Amino acid sequence: MTIAYEAVIGLETHIQLNTLTKIFCSCKADSWEDEPNTNICPVCTGLPGVLPVLNEKVVEKAVLLAAAMQANIQDLSFFDRKNYFYPDLPKGYQISQYDHSLATGGFLDVPVPASSDTGSDAYVRQVRIHKLHIEEDAGKTKKEKDRRYVDFNRCGVPLVEMVTEPDLRSAEEAGQYLIRLRQLLRWLGISEADMEKGNLRCDANVSIREKGSTVLNTKTEIKNVNSIDAVKDAIRKEIERQIKEVEKGNTIKPWTLDWDDNAGVLRMMRSKETEADYRYFHEPDLLPLVISPAWQARILEGLPELPLARRKRFMEEFKIPEYDADILTTERDLADYFEETARLYGGDAKKISNWLMNDVLRMRNDLGKSMQELNLTPAYLTELVKLTDDGKINSTIAKHLLQKVQESGKAPYTLVEELGLAVVSDDGAIRSVCEKIIAANPAEVQSYRDGKQSLMGWFVGQVMREMRGKADPQITQRVLKEILDK
Amino acid sequence: MMTELTDYSAFKLADLVKTKQVSAREILQAHLQYIEKADGRPGSLDGIPSADDDKKIHAFITHTEAIALRQAKQVDEKIAKGEDAGLLAGVPFTVKDIFCVKDTPSTAASRILANFTAPYTATPVARLAAAGGLMLGKVNLDEFTYGSSSESSAFQPSPRNPWDLSKVPGGSSGGSAAAVAAHEGALSLGTDTAGSIRQPAAFCGVVGMKPTYGRVSRYGLIAFGSSLDCPGPLARTVKDAALMLQVIAGADKADATAAMKDVPDYLKDIEKDIAGMRIGLSPDYFRITFPDPESGEYVEQELPTEIQDAVYRTAEVYKALGATIVEDVPMPNTRYGIPVYFVISRVEAASNLHRFDGVKYGYRTPEQVKDLTEMYRRSRGEGFGLQPKLRILMGMYVSAAQYAEQYYQRALKVRSLIRNDFEIVFDPGGLYKLDALLTPTTPTTAFGMAAVYGDSVMMQYADQLTVPANHAGVPGISIPAGFSDDGLPVGVQLLGADFSEAKLLRIARAFEMATETDEWRTKKPIVLEGE
Amino acid sequence: MNNKDNLIPREVFDHLVDLAAFSLEEQEKSYLHEQMNNQLNSIRELEAIPLPDDLPVTTHGVDYGQDGTPPLRKDEWVACQNTADILAQAPCVEDDYIVVPDIPTTELE
Repeated sequence: MTIAYEAVIGLETHIQLNTLTKIFCSCKADSWEDEPNTNICPVCTGLPGVLPVLNEKVVEKAVLLAAAMQANIQDLSFFDRKNYFYPDLPKGYQISQYDHSLATGGFLDVPVPASSDTGSDAYVRQVRIHKLHIEEDAGKTKKEKDRRYVDFNRCGVPLVEMVTEPDLRSAEEAGQYLIRLRQLLRWLGISEADMEKGNLRCDANVSIREKGSTVLNTKTEIKNVNSIDAVKDAIRKEIERQIKEVEKGNTIKPWTLDWDDNAGVLRMMRSKETEADYRYFHEPDLLPLVISPAWQARILEGLPELPLARRKRFMEEFKIPEYDADILTTERDLADYFEETARLYGGDAKKISNWLMNDVLRMRNDLGKSMQELNLTPAYLTELVKLTDDGKINSTIAKHLLQKVQESGKAPYTLVEELGLAVVSDDGAIRSVCEKIIAANPAEVQSYRDGKQSLMGWFVGQVMREMRGKADPQITQRVLKEILDK
Repeated sequence: MMTELTDYSAFKLADLVKTKQVSAREILQAHLQYIEKADGRPGSLDGIPSADDDKKIHAFITHTEAIALRQAKQVDEKIAKGEDAGLLAGVPFTVKDIFCVKDTPSTAASRILANFTAPYTATPVARLAAAGGLMLGKVNLDEFTYGSSSESSAFQPSPRNPWDLSKVPGGSSGGSAAAVAAHEGALSLGTDTAGSIRQPAAFCGVVGMKPTYGRVSRYGLIAFGSSLDCPGPLARTVKDAALMLQVIAGADKADATAAMKDVPDYLKDIEKDIAGMRIGLSPDYFRITFPDPESGEYVEQELPTEIQDAVYRTAEVYKALGATIVEDVPMPNTRYGIPVYFVISRVEAASNLHRFDGVKYGYRTPEQVKDLTEMYRRSRGEGFGLQPKLRILMGMYVSAAQYAEQYYQRALKVRSLIRNDFEIVFDPGGLYKLDALLTPTTPTTAFGMAAVYGDSVMMQYADQLTVPANHAGVPGISIPAGFSDDGLPVGVQLLGADFSEAKLLRIARAFEMATETDEWRTKKPIVLEGE
Repeated sequence: MNNKDNLIPREVFDHLVDLAAFSLEEQEKSYLHEQMNNQLNSIRELEAIPLPDDLPVTTHGVDYGQDGTPPLRKDEWVACQNTADILAQAPCVEDDYIVVPDIPTTELE
């Protein structure tokens, strides 16, 4: 009899907040394109005598995240020093929050889609948050030959560290958690959340146990994973390894593992340091952080409806399918765009959803713009859909018109007028083209009249081509029939 | 005329400059010439002791004539143009070498920073300069301020006491106190973490004030105990100390612990009478408790009578001025000041000194090393003197996870008890309603060079009467109150409620005025005699 | 406290020296170890003080109050004008990177 195992996974995420400046000094936070050691000052390089001054936006963004995670925001929290030597840490300590952090508790509901691999249905995994706190990022080092090269540009970039409870049960769930977290961070506008750029970093704590058991076994910590796929791969590999070890009768050691993405392997780095060595104590250079009810209320005015709530509301209020609602709530500006358009339109919102998912999104992606940057505003899209509803333009023209609106920035109605795109429903104009086509194709006329009724479509097509698509198809068909059946 | 300029108060000098009786340049030249003669060689790394060391003051580590000349020129230009040249126009000052000053060696009297040239200027120094002050140089101190005698400086010779060159000037602001006492600049910027302004001020017979924590920005002060450190003035007169505090006090965007409280005009009411003020005396400040170096047993010892007498004499003066003397004020937690300080200051110091690792600035071992860890160990092992090493190790011990609750957390709570003592006696609605507490500043007068040095515990207990104010954050001022039988200055201390500097200065000034014509006031430091 | 000499065992002392990243001469070690024991002897006085359970810790003595507490910093960028001066203080710089010896790792397969 084989034992069924389940994985127990907790994630520790480091989220770079997208403030303009660093957490404790006035240097620019983003150094992505900067030369080494150019975006530095006495404070973030830890010169003797300097002092940290907390950036108020960092607190505000962290509070937004805490609120979005349903965490308990503490009206009084402390900063602490975490002491250790490393060349990327100029002060020799990291200013972090230890036992009185900004927020505690909270959770994120993570929808896990159905899987054809395992045959499982879709479900929602609730992932509890253990702790959420503010801290400063360290610099970067690179190894060359037998030396280390240190760049302090990243020192002092604001981070939120968020630690989950060990609530995840598979690599897939861990991946979905990160996808939902990334979505939330961008939704809230507090982080670029780009894992490749290190805006969102993740360490995974992994252990296994017999399915159905509630014990927590010894865990390993996987570091240095910088994409969602890598997180999933690394966790999968580690679960397999642990099962193999246990089945061989070995015990799991509390190792720290380093993920080598290129080789797709885990390597053991060093035995885990005990926390005692960090000698945390309250940072005397900063007063305790007080978040007054008034300030908190002011911050939370900026808290938007969250993606999952909005997804649910879209389904209920606009009667669109779950699939559509899911896609339309991947990004906040897309959801805003949809909602605004659907309201302006007032009719069947599914039509708006179709337009967005089939055409507008592709166009936006090709242009590499955000929804807000499009010339095709919700008002214009509404106008365009209404033009098709009213039969003023047909669907082919409509797709063409979409591009034209985007290119020119002009209103769809104006373009229809200017470019003469309106459907021609003038009986006389269509009749003359029909007569011309019929006269020019005697063979086809004969075939039709001999009973090949299916040629009607061909005749309509010819008229359309002649009239560059603008002919009203119903009128065209009626007129053609009238002449051919004569 | 030229030599006399060094005898004037800051107040008088600024007045002479503003009324165009003397130029800033003349004042500076007088001081430079005098210092050249009186101070002797500056402290230097690996300075070899010489018999001549005991004949001069040796207050300085770095002379900054070029900066001072530039500043004097600016002041004189402003005066010529009829512009406001600042409260300290043409007033020469020195800076304890624990403050960073741009493009100037900023050493903390340590080998590990001996080659460090600061790329920025500390806020209080910038404010002194902006007010028209002339920076004469950086003066000596205990290495990283860790001491009460200035002997632990890596820059030798260390400063001598201008009243008796065989005695220490106190510490850690020993260079500051010695310079001011010896008329090497009217003012000096010091720092006080456990008494490091007040104790040397008392030893050298000058005025030294530790302002309320947060009253003066710490930006640019190379940190020791960050929750205790206070920059403050040393001067020869109370009014000069007030003038200097006026310039350096106030909020600072670069220091998140610098209070937003408005800075009052410290000079406005400084000479108003003090009739009706309530001044307390506490028996807990007339004894010290310390572990016997041999047995480790605690011993309680009354202070020497000459110290006690100075306080009682001062109280009599106040009584005569119409103040109410409130006796037997209980300050029961005073004795815990040193043990609490041993914990809190060491934890903060150990962390503050983490940054000196040979990576970014300062000393890196010249030896070939096999890896980063060895580079750290050798750089720190060779760069730090014994006192910083001791503080780092002690701080690491008491903040280690397994001991933090027992020591560090407990110390923070006992700190609350110490604070409570002050809150009770200064409470305007309480039993005592004190305006100030009058105490001795130090348990002894200046001790001999090498008399205590090396015994870190006994050295620390020299701060027992000054350190409670640092724990509580309250302001304190030490003023000269006479001399001991062997001719050494005795200081008394006035402690007050948070941000009560104006009141303390007024009470201090009242004593100064009342004793202006006393015979002891005519005594001069040995270095000034025979001029 | 009678046994004041052995409050800090030698192995704990050695561990602290390691944590502090000091290479020390034997003579320095014995001075430091002895002084630490003396200091600890003084510190232990704290253990005997009765403390109320609800006694708060004091992190800064002064009560800042709401009006005395400095505001947080506005998120406004001020570029440092003399970054080169900062870098110039480093003992070893190459291509604007600060250079240090390599970090020892104990990588195991």
